[in-house]
Amino acid sequence: MNDDPTPRLYLDALEETAETPRTSLRPLLLTAARARRRPAAAVSGWTAPYAGRIAAMDALLGQVGEDDWHKETVEGWTLQELLAHLAAKDGLVALAVGAPVLGPPVTVDEALARTAELQEHERRRAPGQTRRDWRTQADALCRHLAALPPDTPASVGGFPMPAVDHILARALETWLHTADAAGAVGVTLPQPVPEHITPTADLCARLMPLTMRVSGHTVAEGRAVRLVLTGPGGGRWHVPLHRHGKAVREGDVNAGAGAGGAPADATITCDVAEFCFLVGGRGEADTFAAEVEGDSGLARDLLRAAPALSGP
Amino acid sequence: MEAPVADDRLLHQRVVGGEEAALGEVYDRFAPLVFGLAVRITRDRAVSEDITQEVFVAFWERPLAFDPARGTLRAWLATIAHRRAVDHVRAQERRKASVLGPRLLEPEPERLEDTVLSRQEADGVRLAVGKLPDHLREVIELAYYRGRTYRQVADELGLPEGTAKSRIRLGLRRLADALAEEST
Repeated sequence: MNDDPTPRLYLDALEETAETPRTSLRPLLLTAARARRRPAAAVSGWTAPYAGRIAAMDALLGQVGEDDWHKETVEGWTLQELLAHLAAKDGLVALAVGAPVLGPPVTVDEALARTAELQEHERRRAPGQTRRDWRTQADALCRHLAALPPDTPASVGGFPMPAVDHILARALETWLHTADAAGAVGVTLPQPVPEHITPTADLCARLMPLTMRVSGHTVAEGRAVRLVLTGPGGGRWHVPLHRHGKAVREGDVNAGAGAGGAPADATITCDVAEFCFLVGGRGEADTFAAEVEGDSGLARDLLRAAPALSGP
Repeated sequence: MEAPVADDRLLHQRVVGGEEAALGEVYDRFAPLVFGLAVRITRDRAVSEDITQEVFVAFWERPLAFDPARGTLRAWLATIAHRRAVDHVRAQERRKASVLGPRLLEPEPERLEDTVLSRQEADGVRLAVGKLPDHLREVIELAYYRGRTYRQVADELGLPEGTAKSRIRLGLRRLADALAEEST
């Protein structure tokens, strides 16, 4: 920021003589804005974290140049192919809950195969078409889910979870890939609002017994970790790590000491967004910025196992 | 006074996340400033309404063009409003000029800087501060150019805090009036 205080002085002076435009301008403005960029499909309820990430990715796509669509992002994919990948995985969730699916009929309910299929299809189309259809499918999925209870069982790629957890996983993946795309085109991406980060982090915490298991750790009954996730949207979770362990959110990090619940073998304190990204396969467990108290071996196992379910 | 940066960040996050109500809040907070600024430059309320609408629609449509790490939302919106208002005035002048016939010397177009004030305009503001009555100039200089808080301004001048505060606001109003006069 500029050190010269003159612009700030100028703006403060203008605010003293500011003039309110006629009240009818406000609704006109909101209508004009809506026509230029579609608002999120939901701003409250259990699909909101996903709808918010879709809107953020769409905002990014709305300002990329023609050339940016062919820039490499991750996995050797162009931005258009990355978007086709997101659309492919959204489509598998849509298929599982009976919402409209984008592109050619799904032949195999498996993320990578469907990604390849849809990328092949989208490569022959203009990036703008890929973008429009990806957004249409995502919004249709939100509308479809709004009528269902969040615990509606759904099996995606042979992986059974309540619909709410599938959609939170989609929110996390859309967030990660929007960050990838923003990095590729040189744009700074702000974080999701805290109310959207908390449920996403909650899913990540609840996945820990499973990531431990698929990483080959057999954890005895009663062993648990306390996760203290700091930053906006953070909180404290008590995470029992045996195979049927269920992580429980204990409260806000800022609630102060004494808010602690059940005893834990180790406490891991780290940034909430960084933890979500670690679970999403971004960042190295061994250099991950976390403060550990108690059983450091158990904490290290958890952090190393955290990305076990992340794919491309 | 400047809105806390934390508010900017949260409003920005909400707008990026497609929350229309957040745009409404941004509008309610900054429309008087943006509209007032446009009126001051264009002297045309209808044109200023169009500019106001364009500024907020632009923020909604391309919210990632704003980066809270690089400045306040207030300054960013004011910069766009300033740029559009100046563009409008220049287009008007060109239209007038073409009616009157070709000019012999086209003035060098001023580079549009990425700031709410051109260097020339900033000089104008500093000049206007210098012309304020002593008791107002003193408080403005302390509060802005010496980075004092209201409390510190009051202490240094041996005034009650409320008096210091109202003097600063009076100084700001006088300044705005002086700048408005100067631009006509």
